[in-house]
Amino acid sequence: MKMLGDKRSVMVACFAALNVVMYLTIKKFWIGGSSFLPMIGQMGPNNKFLFAFIVNLGVIVGAFLGAVSSGEFRLRMPQNIAKAVIGGVLIGMGVTVAPGTCTTAFVTGMPMLSVSSFLSAAGIFIGTFIVYHFTFRR
Amino acid sequence: MLLIGFLFGIGFGYFVQRAGLCFAQGFGEIFMGKGKQIARLFLIVFVITSAGFLLSGLVNSSLGLKPVGQIRGYGFFNIVSGILFGAGIALNGGCILGTLRQLGEGNLTFLIVFFSFIPGMALVVYGLNPLIEKGYDIQKVLLPELLGIPAAFITGVLILLAVWGLQYLQPPQKKG
Repeated sequence: MKMLGDKRSVMVACFAALNVVMYLTIKKFWIGGSSFLPMIGQMGPNNKFLFAFIVNLGVIVGAFLGAVSSGEFRLRMPQNIAKAVIGGVLIGMGVTVAPGTCTTAFVTGMPMLSVSSFLSAAGIFIGTFIVYHFTFRR
Repeated sequence: MLLIGFLFGIGFGYFVQRAGLCFAQGFGEIFMGKGKQIARLFLIVFVITSAGFLLSGLVNSSLGLKPVGQIRGYGFFNIVSGILFGAGIALNGGCILGTLRQLGEGNLTFLIVFFSFIPGMALVVYGLNPLIEKGYDIQKVLLPELLGIPAAFITGVLILLAVWGLQYLQPPQKKG
């Protein structure tokens, strides 16, 4: 328990446990990126993407409830709009070229020992390194 | 089923918000030399989820380890996808989880990020897809099949490494 000593660790442990409970009870995975394909009319086989999209809409509501209950909710106007748009478009392309975002790869895919998730993780590492190296560290 | 998914989502969102989990920030911590607390949180997720997914096969034979939503199999495009995605999350400072979390916390920048997914996805689905389809291996492969090593052994070794990593990345102790 020493490793789970702080509150963030306990919360993330609850999050991981809930991920396993969802798989055990309704036999469905939580996926990240591909879940947004219903926004362009792609529901996936057996409405797989639609289900994940609904889960992720629930994440927004849950985060809202968490933020309100802890007094961390604060409405903030958009900043760095160009960066947000370019970043969002790149994410949209990335999640569609091959499913495998951070959520899919790190939270579900790698624990499932999915080869594609390990490859996605390597790509994410390279992509973030390039941006951090050439923009933020200059 | 959709309602149940929505309720699970609320639970995920609550815990993610309270944990302050965002993988984009985790990469930021690593590359900017600002500690590795998100990496530590990831290892906790990995240990619990790996053990849970592996043991789920003992509870119900229809569960256990399975390919996850990787409808196009694996290969070069996973790396390309990861690089595009990684560049995107580093630019706007939020992975998918981080974007949803910060949207729920009232940061409207992430509403723009959220809707900017649409042109990116549409470009690939309606523009590039015919090219991509030709390059895909359609197999869905898990590491144990690829290496010919039992899943329990691989998961066990990875969990041990993760626990070792957790010892190394202890949370900062409060002074006083």
